[in-house]
Amino acid sequence: MIIGEHYFANRNLIPKVVIGALVVLLAAFPLITTDVVTLSTLISSGIWAIAAMGFTLVLRTGQFSMGQAAFMAIGGYVSAILTVRLGIPYWPSFLAAGVISGLIALMIGLIVLRAGGISFSIITIAFGEIVRIVALNWGSVTKGATGIVTRAPAPITIGNFEINFAAGVVPYYYFMFFLVIVSGLFFWQIDRTRIGGTFRSVAANPILAEHLGVHLMWYRVIAFTVAGVFTGLAGAYYVTFLGVMNPLIFDLWKSVQIMMMTIVGGWSSIVGGPIIGAAVLYSLGNYLSRLPIPNIQYLVFGAVVVLVLLFLPKGTGLVDLWGKFWRKVFREVEEYELPGESSQEDE
Amino acid sequence: MKKWYNVLAILVTAVIVLGMFATACAQKPAPAQPTGPITINIGLPMPLSGTASPWGEIPTPFREAWVQVFNKEGFQVNGQTYNVKLIQEDDENSAEGGSAAAKQLIYGDKCKFFAGHWSWNFSAVAAVTNPAKVIFLTRTGSPDATPASGGGAYDPKTMPYVVFGTPSQEEYRANIFALVEAFPNYKKIGILDSSVGKGAPTWTDLFARLDKAGIRWHDEYFAPGTTDFSPIITRFKDEGCDIVFVAGWIGEFMTFLKQRYEMGYKDMKVGCTGPFVSMDVYNAVVGADAVQGAIGGYYAPWEFKKTKVDPKYIAQCQEAMKIAAQTTGAPFEYTGEMPWVPSHILILTQAMQKAGSVDDPDAIMQAIRGGTFDTTVGKWTMSGAQTYGSPVVFGTAGCLCSIQGGKEVYLSEHPMDPIP
Amino acid sequence: MPPAGIWIDGLVQSCIYMTMAFGMVLVFSILGILNWAHGQFYMLGGFVVYYAVTAAGIPFPLSLLISGVIVGGLGMVVEKVIIERLTGPGYGLLAVTAATMALIFFFEGAAGMAFGLMAKGMATVLPGVLDMSSFSISYQKIAVIAFTLIIMVAMYIVLNRTKIGKAIRATAQQPDAASLYGVSVGRVSLIVMGIGCALAAMAGGIMGPVQSVDPFMGRIPMIMSLLAIVIGGLGSLTGAIAGGIILGLLNSVIAYKISYFSEVVLFVMVIAILLIRPQGLFGTGAK
Repeated sequence: MIIGEHYFANRNLIPKVVIGALVVLLAAFPLITTDVVTLSTLISSGIWAIAAMGFTLVLRTGQFSMGQAAFMAIGGYVSAILTVRLGIPYWPSFLAAGVISGLIALMIGLIVLRAGGISFSIITIAFGEIVRIVALNWGSVTKGATGIVTRAPAPITIGNFEINFAAGVVPYYYFMFFLVIVSGLFFWQIDRTRIGGTFRSVAANPILAEHLGVHLMWYRVIAFTVAGVFTGLAGAYYVTFLGVMNPLIFDLWKSVQIMMMTIVGGWSSIVGGPIIGAAVLYSLGNYLSRLPIPNIQYLVFGAVVVLVLLFLPKGTGLVDLWGKFWRKVFREVEEYELPGESSQEDE
Repeated sequence: MKKWYNVLAILVTAVIVLGMFATACAQKPAPAQPTGPITINIGLPMPLSGTASPWGEIPTPFREAWVQVFNKEGFQVNGQTYNVKLIQEDDENSAEGGSAAAKQLIYGDKCKFFAGHWSWNFSAVAAVTNPAKVIFLTRTGSPDATPASGGGAYDPKTMPYVVFGTPSQEEYRANIFALVEAFPNYKKIGILDSSVGKGAPTWTDLFARLDKAGIRWHDEYFAPGTTDFSPIITRFKDEGCDIVFVAGWIGEFMTFLKQRYEMGYKDMKVGCTGPFVSMDVYNAVVGADAVQGAIGGYYAPWEFKKTKVDPKYIAQCQEAMKIAAQTTGAPFEYTGEMPWVPSHILILTQAMQKAGSVDDPDAIMQAIRGGTFDTTVGKWTMSGAQTYGSPVVFGTAGCLCSIQGGKEVYLSEHPMDPIP
Repeated sequence: MPPAGIWIDGLVQSCIYMTMAFGMVLVFSILGILNWAHGQFYMLGGFVVYYAVTAAGIPFPLSLLISGVIVGGLGMVVEKVIIERLTGPGYGLLAVTAATMALIFFFEGAAGMAFGLMAKGMATVLPGVLDMSSFSISYQKIAVIAFTLIIMVAMYIVLNRTKIGKAIRATAQQPDAASLYGVSVGRVSLIVMGIGCALAAMAGGIMGPVQSVDPFMGRIPMIMSLLAIVIGGLGSLTGAIAGGIILGLLNSVIAYKISYFSEVVLFVMVIAILLIRPQGLFGTGAK
């Protein structure tokens, strides 16, 4: 497999073995503990990680989309409406949610990505709010503030083995795990191809961006659409996990949190960064909510993001500590960085 | 060779870290129970942070005091005495937060019952409690906490362990009728809610009943976060409304109250769903003049005229108020908690006694449906006598007060009609 | 034709949006960033005034000035410690945008923990209502209008008649040329941040008696000042004033006509402006 070849062709095998071991550990996690709270935290982290990956991809083309939560809402509503109101089974609805979310992202992107920088960000904010307001008022379709109560997907029988989502969180965990792996591979692959390389150069070099001209616009639209698809899928999955879909779940502040997860995790790595950022910030937020000090989660959340920005070198996040760590371990000048990027050792 | 030691160290560290994470999130084993009354954990997911939290925080001293008073006697089932312990978790008034709080309460804090819930995440919490067979006492009135037949999200068949211990929806209705009884010469009643509540089953049901009773009304909605109510106040005036019933949060009610006074409509009466939080806050925000005549829910059971409350419960509540005053160091006047945690716990414990069990949820639910319970807000018969067929809703006194001088004064009462 | 009361209250809202937008544009034109935490300084200013008036008994106008100084100082600290480090050659907008957004959460949490979440009122400040023939207006609202006029005049004087004002205007137009003339861009940034945050703080303080003060009250004013800037044009001070006036009056009138849908109208309008005429009414067109 092409991905495998590239993966193992790199000389620095050991960090990759460790990552592999962690992946295996996470896969086997429900065997270690079936504690509902822990698994639920991991499931939610995974879902936000996917949304953060989408944000990162769009970020690579030089745009901050502050409306990603709106695509989660769109995905969530599509899957909820199709399953509950139209009686279509879950998995086709899930895929349809991704497709429709992507289509909407495509349409919006074509119109709106022309505006650059701050204008684009403000428009995405407005878009997010409009989605929320429409969902609230289009009661005949979305049932407004009442929301739609979703059902677990029907049990899947494979041979003698039945996967029953209604029985507990473990099946949700495995599907989330699978979804994160698939999304991660997809985003990673995009990153490896020419498109990804172009994205990265563009993000670092605005003059190159101008020279690319109309091609840049297409790259932006593609990135925005792909992000829309996966974010929609994440929203559709979250909604069946949570059991309900209403207009208040995915709001502007969730879009802000997605951005923060990317920042804290680091956007130099399109898979690792969002995953680390989402896992750290979500778990941290959850843990802080359980403390008897009210509102501390807001304070610490904000403080952590600001501290990461201030103290980690420019443009890096937690995921870059990983690279630094391995460089220390091996005491080699050799880079464990994304393949294709030239060495920039002078931080 | 050294590299492999390092790698091994990494792997071991990773396992340890993940393991710590797992155990940190996992439940702590309960300490050994002392002999004596057995404690039953009762979970309360409610907003402790965020914009809705003042309504969650203010009654806390009273809740804890009441539980303390209740536990002095406890309750007996099959000869064993039991106490209750109230465990709160922050649900951030959101679906996600509610789901996380519910999971923590059930799997982390080992609660088999939830009581006193009122925040806006009924569906999310019910999605966690029902599969776990946790009896969930909450309220009607939020848009999803009404039967699907009426447009809500509650389905008695898929949510068999839900009890509506406080019928807020029916209470809005009762309040409007109480208003009409208090001011028989009213011209038109204005009803204001945030746009989030527009079209909710609570209102469609209410409007139908008002029409049937021949009551004149007009509804308006505001965008959440509005701080300038003058356009809406003017619209109400244009429609000829002389009494406005505001179904918003305390901040919005206070702002409305103040602005209508400043606009010169001193005669426009304003009522709110829910009790007054504290006279000090109202005087400070609204101004002692503008606040005169404001109308609100009134839950002082010793003042009910049409609903009889057992003197024992009245005494317990008053004792709890005293303890709460001592804890906070200031007079404690908030009576709004009466129909919530105290009433829910009384329903639950009486049902346990009827069912003869403290841990069989089906038997307890069987006892709740159609049962008659005597609580801090009176004696009512629970609806839902048919097993798993119809909603399980308690009753309420529908009592109103108005502010005269600096005090809440009984205004009128319209006890709820029983639900079949 | 909406009654006079609607216009008056729209005007009061305009005053606040105008003041906030002015502060935000000042910061934007010198530092080149949008301070997403602008609304938090509004909130903090409100709290400082609240405690100054109720706990320390300081007269209201003096409390306003004090809150301007304190919160303006806080703004300068934020600029020095956070913003300065995250802007400059090579930094995109991402880091500083993320940081200012994170500060929103930080300040809300801090205020919630320090002051409690219950709304705090100052209704005893400037009580009373002025009754005119067709409408009434409270003295507190008159104070808001008066305050805004004073602020606008003060800003005009500072920007056009003082040396520092000239430095600010020069830096806004041509930072490189300005530094050639000996203007320290760093110092100007600091001062401008201080002024912008002080404006926000005093706006929060003057609105305290009109509404109330609570930790989350900064969210809506920030979004509204953002909309005002878009209408008026990013980077234009006149635009901020015009945008604020238009937004306030429009919001009031539309809410009167179609009640809660005014939200949608405003957002759609903003999207349309950004797509069709991104420089707004008075903007310079550069992005």
